[in-house]
Amino acid sequence: MNPNKSRKIPSFFHLVGAVWYRHYRVYQNHFFTNSFPTVIEPLILMLSFGWGLAMAVGSMDGVDYLSFIAPGQAMMAAVYTSAFEESYGTYFRMMVDHNYDAMLSTPINVTEVFWGELLYTGTKGAFFSLVVILVLSCFGIIHSFWGLLVPVVGFFTAIAFGSLGLFAARLVKNINQFNFFITGVVSPLILFSGTFFSIDKMPPYAAVIAKVLPLYFFIDVSRMLTTGRFNNDLYIALPYILIVPMVLGHFAVKAMQKKMIQ
Amino acid sequence: MSNDHLIEARQIVKNYDDFRAVDGVDFAVKPGECFGFLGPNGAGKSTLMKMIYCFSPRGGGELSIFGLDPDKSPAEIKNRMGVVAQTDNLDEDVTVTQNLQIYGGFFGIARPVLNAKIKELLAFMALEAKADSGIRELSGGMKRRLVIARALLNEPDLIILDEPTTGLDPQVRHLIWAKLRELKAQGVTILLTTHYMEEAYELCDRLLVLDKGKVLAMGKPEELVKNSLPAYVLELPAAEKDKIRLTGSLQMETHGDKLFLFAAAPSELEKVAVQFKGQFRIRTTGLEDLFLKLTGRDLHESE
Repeated sequence: MNPNKSRKIPSFFHLVGAVWYRHYRVYQNHFFTNSFPTVIEPLILMLSFGWGLAMAVGSMDGVDYLSFIAPGQAMMAAVYTSAFEESYGTYFRMMVDHNYDAMLSTPINVTEVFWGELLYTGTKGAFFSLVVILVLSCFGIIHSFWGLLVPVVGFFTAIAFGSLGLFAARLVKNINQFNFFITGVVSPLILFSGTFFSIDKMPPYAAVIAKVLPLYFFIDVSRMLTTGRFNNDLYIALPYILIVPMVLGHFAVKAMQKKMIQ
Repeated sequence: MSNDHLIEARQIVKNYDDFRAVDGVDFAVKPGECFGFLGPNGAGKSTLMKMIYCFSPRGGGELSIFGLDPDKSPAEIKNRMGVVAQTDNLDEDVTVTQNLQIYGGFFGIARPVLNAKIKELLAFMALEAKADSGIRELSGGMKRRLVIARALLNEPDLIILDEPTTGLDPQVRHLIWAKLRELKAQGVTILLTTHYMEEAYELCDRLLVLDKGKVLAMGKPEELVKNSLPAYVLELPAAEKDKIRLTGSLQMETHGDKLFLFAAAPSELEKVAVQFKGQFRIRTTGLEDLFLKLTGRDLHESE
C-alpha cells in the first residue's frame, strides 16, 4: 500500500459530468444516423399536412394549421429521443453491455450515473428540437425569434420523458414489454397534448387530464415561443416545465437505485 | 477491527429472496497478499466479490475494507480499488484509448496525468499497438488485458478479479499471470475467483474453498492438499471398482466415470496398479483432487 496517495473522491457534479461525457463520446458515432429521422420526419409530416390536412383545417387557435403544429414537432423529437434512450438504451446498457457494472466499480454511485444520463438525454432533446426548429423555419412557420428558446424547453421535455423511460426500464421483465410503454404511454401523450389539435376541442374533463400529464405545457410554452403570442398560461406552464422534470427525474433515479442495488 | 488486514469479513451473509447465496463466511486478507476464492459454479464466489466491491449490500455480518464499511463509505473504498468483472464490459463504440480516458474520468484523474498513465498501462499490458483500435478489432485476450489495464488506472491498492482467465488460451493466461505477479511484487493486494486449480496454485498465497455459500477449507494451497488428502493417487476407470480391495490406508473416491485411490505411500498403490499391468499411472495429489473431494461428487447443476 502506498499511504502517500491522497486521492480525493470526485464531486457529484464532476461524476455526473463524467457520465454525460461517456455517453457523448460513445454515442457520437451514431449521431448522424440518429439525427436523420428527427430531421426527415417533420419534413415529411409538413409536406403531407401542408398538402392535405392544413388546407381542410385552415386555422387553429388563430394561427394557420402548420404554424399550430410546428412547436409540437420539436417537442416530439425531444420526446422520442429521450423515451427510447432511457428505456431500450438503459436496458441494453444494463442487461447486454454491462456498462453500468463498469461505471459503478469506480467512485460513482447509482444516483450520479442516472442523473448523468438524464443530463445527456436532456442535451439530446435540446439539440434535436433545435434542428427541427431550424428545419421548420425554412417553411416560414416559426414567427418569432423567441423560437430559438424552444431547445431549452426541449431539454426539460427530454428529462421528463427520459425519466418515464427509466421507470419503464425499472419495471420491464423483458425487452418486449417496452411496447406497453411506447404504445401505452408515449403515443397517447403525443396525440392528446395539443400537438395536432387544440385541447379545447376535447371534453372538459379530458382537457384537464391532458394539462396535468407531462407534455401539454411543454408544447404550450413552445407554441408561445414559435408564434410570439404569450398568454397567462405561462405563469403555470413555466414553473411546471421546470419543476415536473426534476421531480420525475428524482423518483426515476430512486427507482433505478432499487433495481441496481440488490 | 484490526488494522493489519486489508479485508476482514466476519460471518457475512447474503440472501436473495429465500435463497441464501453466502452463509456465514469468515476470512481476512493481509496487505500484499494474493487471496483466492475457489468453488464450483453457484458456490457464492461472485456474490461474495460483489459485496466486497460495494455492488451488493451484505445481508448480515461485519465487513471492512481498508478499515472502512462498504455500506457507509463505498466511494472511498472504490476509489482505492480496481475491479475486473467476469464479463468484459468495455465501451464497444470507442477506441482502446478512449475507453481508458472515459473510465479515468470517473476517478477524477486530470487529463495530462491520465494520458501519461494510459500510455504506461497500455505498454504494461502489451497493447500499445492497439491504442487507436476499436474494441471489436480486439481478440478475447486483448479485451481482457484492456479490462485489467482499466482497473489499474487509479493505481489501486487492491484489485479484484472475477475469473480473470476464463475462456482464454494458455499464452494469454500465462501473460496475465505474469502481470498479476508483477503487480503483487509492487505491493498490490489481489483478490480473485477461479475454477482453475492451476491458476490458484500459480497465483494464490492462500485460498478459500467455498461451496453452497459456506467455507469448506482455507489456507495455503500446498497445505490444504497435504492436510486433507494422502500424498499419492491412482486414477482408474470407475468400471474397475469391483477389482479393488481396500487394504491398509487406501481411500477410494469416485467422480463421474473415474475412480481415485489415495494412499500415503506410492508402494501401497503399486500393489493395486500391478494388476492393470502399468496401464494407469500413480501421481501426487493436487488441488483438483481436493476440490473434487470437498465440493462433492455430483454435478452442481443437478442440485
